[in-house]
Amino acid sequence: MANAKSEPIHRTLQGQLIRLSPFIVGAVILFLLPAFLPAYVQTIWTKFLIFAIFATSFDLIYGHAGLLSLGHAAFFGAGGYVVGVLLLHYEISSFWICAPLGVIVASAIAAVFGFISLRVSGMYFLLVTFALAQLLYSIAWNWLWLNSPGMQGIAGIARPDLGIPSFRWTPIYFYYFVLIIFVLCFYLVYRIMNSPFGCSLRGIRESELRMESLGYNTWFHKYIVFIVTGAFAGIAGVLFAYFNRLISPVHLAVGTSFLPMCMVIIGGTGTLLGPVIGAMVIVFVEYFSSLFTPERWPLILGGLFVAVIMYSRGGIMVYLSEIWKRIGTHYGSTQS
Amino acid sequence: MDVVVRNLLNGISYGMVLFLAGAGMSIVMGVMGITNLAHGALYMVGGYVGWTIAIHYGLSFWLGVLLGGLVSGLCGLIIERGFLRHLYKQPNEQVLLTFGFVYILTNLCIWIWGGRHRMQFTSRSLSGLWEIFGLPYPTARIVIILIGLAVGVVLWWLQDRTRMGAIVRAGMDDKEMTKGLGINLERVSMFVFFLAAFIAGMAGVIGAQLMGVHSVLGFDILLLALVVVIVGGMGSVQGSLLGGVLIGLIDTFGKSLFPQMAMFTMYFAMIVILIVKPSGLLGRKV
Amino acid sequence: MEALRVEGLSKDFGGVHAVHHVSFNVEIGERLVIIGPNGAGKTTLFNLINGQLSPTAGRIYFLGQDITEMTTHRRAHLGQARSFQIINLFLNLSVLDNTLLSLHGTKRSRLQMFRSMKSYGNLLSNAQESLEAAALWEKRDELVKNLSYGEQRRIEIALSLASKPKLLMLDEPSSGLTRDEGSEIIALIRNLGPTITVLIVDHDMDLVFGVAERIIVLHYGQIISNGKPEEIRVDPKVREIYMGAEECIDRARAD
Repeated sequence: MANAKSEPIHRTLQGQLIRLSPFIVGAVILFLLPAFLPAYVQTIWTKFLIFAIFATSFDLIYGHAGLLSLGHAAFFGAGGYVVGVLLLHYEISSFWICAPLGVIVASAIAAVFGFISLRVSGMYFLLVTFALAQLLYSIAWNWLWLNSPGMQGIAGIARPDLGIPSFRWTPIYFYYFVLIIFVLCFYLVYRIMNSPFGCSLRGIRESELRMESLGYNTWFHKYIVFIVTGAFAGIAGVLFAYFNRLISPVHLAVGTSFLPMCMVIIGGTGTLLGPVIGAMVIVFVEYFSSLFTPERWPLILGGLFVAVIMYSRGGIMVYLSEIWKRIGTHYGSTQS
Repeated sequence: MDVVVRNLLNGISYGMVLFLAGAGMSIVMGVMGITNLAHGALYMVGGYVGWTIAIHYGLSFWLGVLLGGLVSGLCGLIIERGFLRHLYKQPNEQVLLTFGFVYILTNLCIWIWGGRHRMQFTSRSLSGLWEIFGLPYPTARIVIILIGLAVGVVLWWLQDRTRMGAIVRAGMDDKEMTKGLGINLERVSMFVFFLAAFIAGMAGVIGAQLMGVHSVLGFDILLLALVVVIVGGMGSVQGSLLGGVLIGLIDTFGKSLFPQMAMFTMYFAMIVILIVKPSGLLGRKV
Repeated sequence: MEALRVEGLSKDFGGVHAVHHVSFNVEIGERLVIIGPNGAGKTTLFNLINGQLSPTAGRIYFLGQDITEMTTHRRAHLGQARSFQIINLFLNLSVLDNTLLSLHGTKRSRLQMFRSMKSYGNLLSNAQESLEAAALWEKRDELVKNLSYGEQRRIEIALSLASKPKLLMLDEPSSGLTRDEGSEIIALIRNLGPTITVLIVDHDMDLVFGVAERIIVLHYGQIISNGKPEEIRVDPKVREIYMGAEECIDRARAD
């Protein structure tokens, strides 16, 4: 900070611009590109954004706080189920009711699950988060109230009702809708990451013992982040229900929990862009795999995942950061 | 009364399968500090191999059990030597890695054997009924109980009465110290991992008498094994045995008394344990 | 009012009495050093005072308040700070982040989720002060894991001081350091004001006799001796335990 003041102003501006350029480029791509793509590609981009929110929420608890939760899909699916249930039993399709309620329910479940899970630590924590999510899965499987008649899950979910008269959804409108929410969530997570609370999460990851003796009530911080990430996963789940038009028990199960894990590992944990990049990679690789070898997709996913864990500790972000630093020093705009 | 005895025996035999499925995982967790989420998949691989030997080729069931164990043991060894060993001191990455292997192994099984469910099968010599307390009862289940007890005794003997067991327990408590004493913890760990996978593979064939073999077993058995570990406690054979039998009984009686709630009785037990005694019934302090 | 009073403190692990009926006080501003052979229970004692462990028996009073049941983080808010025997820093975070985190620990703002960490101007200048005093301000953006061992030790102590604690507990602050680095630590401790009470565990006799106003000797979890440095030097019980340390004591006396 002391250094930045002593540099001439135009240098600082140039530095700022270069630092922001990935976001500018990203924004351009996200906002402009899909308008020129065919509808089915737009839906893939939409799926990518939804999972980017999901993955970013997972990274907050895994990459930053260092807590490996295997049951993150519980909150994602819960958000989706709220949409389904409101439609199925109460015929409510207003987005302005479904979304907040979805977030609230997801957060409430996170509050309960977090409390139980944080009773234990380390390996047990893992197992408990897994088992709790599976509990929710089996409730969704068995409780008739959570299922459309004659099937598993709730079907027939239409696009959200925004309360705008004579508004018709098209894939591109839905894409921009999801994009706006994505940008909002992304910005919120960005603020949280850089806040004292966000920093405290990283401190807990590094040394919980030290954090305690510095005055942090680490249990409370972990509990809060559990709930916050549950809320973000819930929002992703709400959007997913609208996107997929169907919510089923599998969206609560560990198989769905695995996806944000993969995305975060492949993209790079503990970074802002890592989960987003990871989401893009996974969603698009899945799409291409579905064209050529759909049955082998889990094998590809597993193989990719194992390969990244073994050979590339920081995911893709490590390489991008390297390239970034080189460009940065080349243009002489070094700063923290 | 008949119903109670039948449920009791069903619960215990099912519990023995759970014990066999979960014991290896519990010991590896306690000894090596590795949470091997692919343990359920190793069970499944063993089951498929056993089916191939016993049904597809019509050979001896017990040969199927043995080969199922060996193939799973080999898979386990590959995972440990080829991958986990390089992630020493990174427990989160290790867990994630094993989780990736669940997908890999599951999909490989589907590729090789197809996605069809394999129905329960057993050895011809076990497919009859026996008289227990005047009640006709499947021989296969009785044999399962006996096998479970036998394996339990052998593992307990290994754990408490052999030098290797002492090494394992020492390694559990203080890895650095054990290594510092010149003990080849590496080799012992490797053997333990192989043994755990071997038992899981055997369990896959033995359990196939009750549950058959199918491609979702990788996850289903993992979940059951986890509940056994949480309830029984990590790291001890006794804990896994107690946990397995308890869960087996709870599940069986639960299904017969409250069919609607059948799925949940197991979870309730788990949550109660977590709230009251997080380290499990016979586990070490968490 | 004493800074710290420990009464009949015991900690048992199974059958092992790690700490056994330990009682002593520390006056405000006093420099108390605890010595004893390895395994004597020194770190366990620290863990009891700072709250990482619960005592099996006994009570602890900090600034007049009974803190025996209090959690570690509450004790930090009352004014305790400590360093650890094995370096326990936030290795993958920068030096500056380590410092800011340490400063925030006792502030209400630590749960703030929307303001940027770097926007807290006065905390930033406090951090700058602490780091400049430890000669590490230039390296503020370096990851702690990339610093040398000596620098890490320095940071550790700087971080413990960051929150302006009333009781500073240093667990083997000179371990692994060179002679010169050790002297720096001694100078640093000497320069701390009279408002801060310092409790140290160490083996380095230069540091012990260079800093202590009073020494407590611990052996098998019990206090063998408690007195001024000159008294401890000549205490036959202590000499018995520290037979090999006679040389060092003579050397220190000669300085």
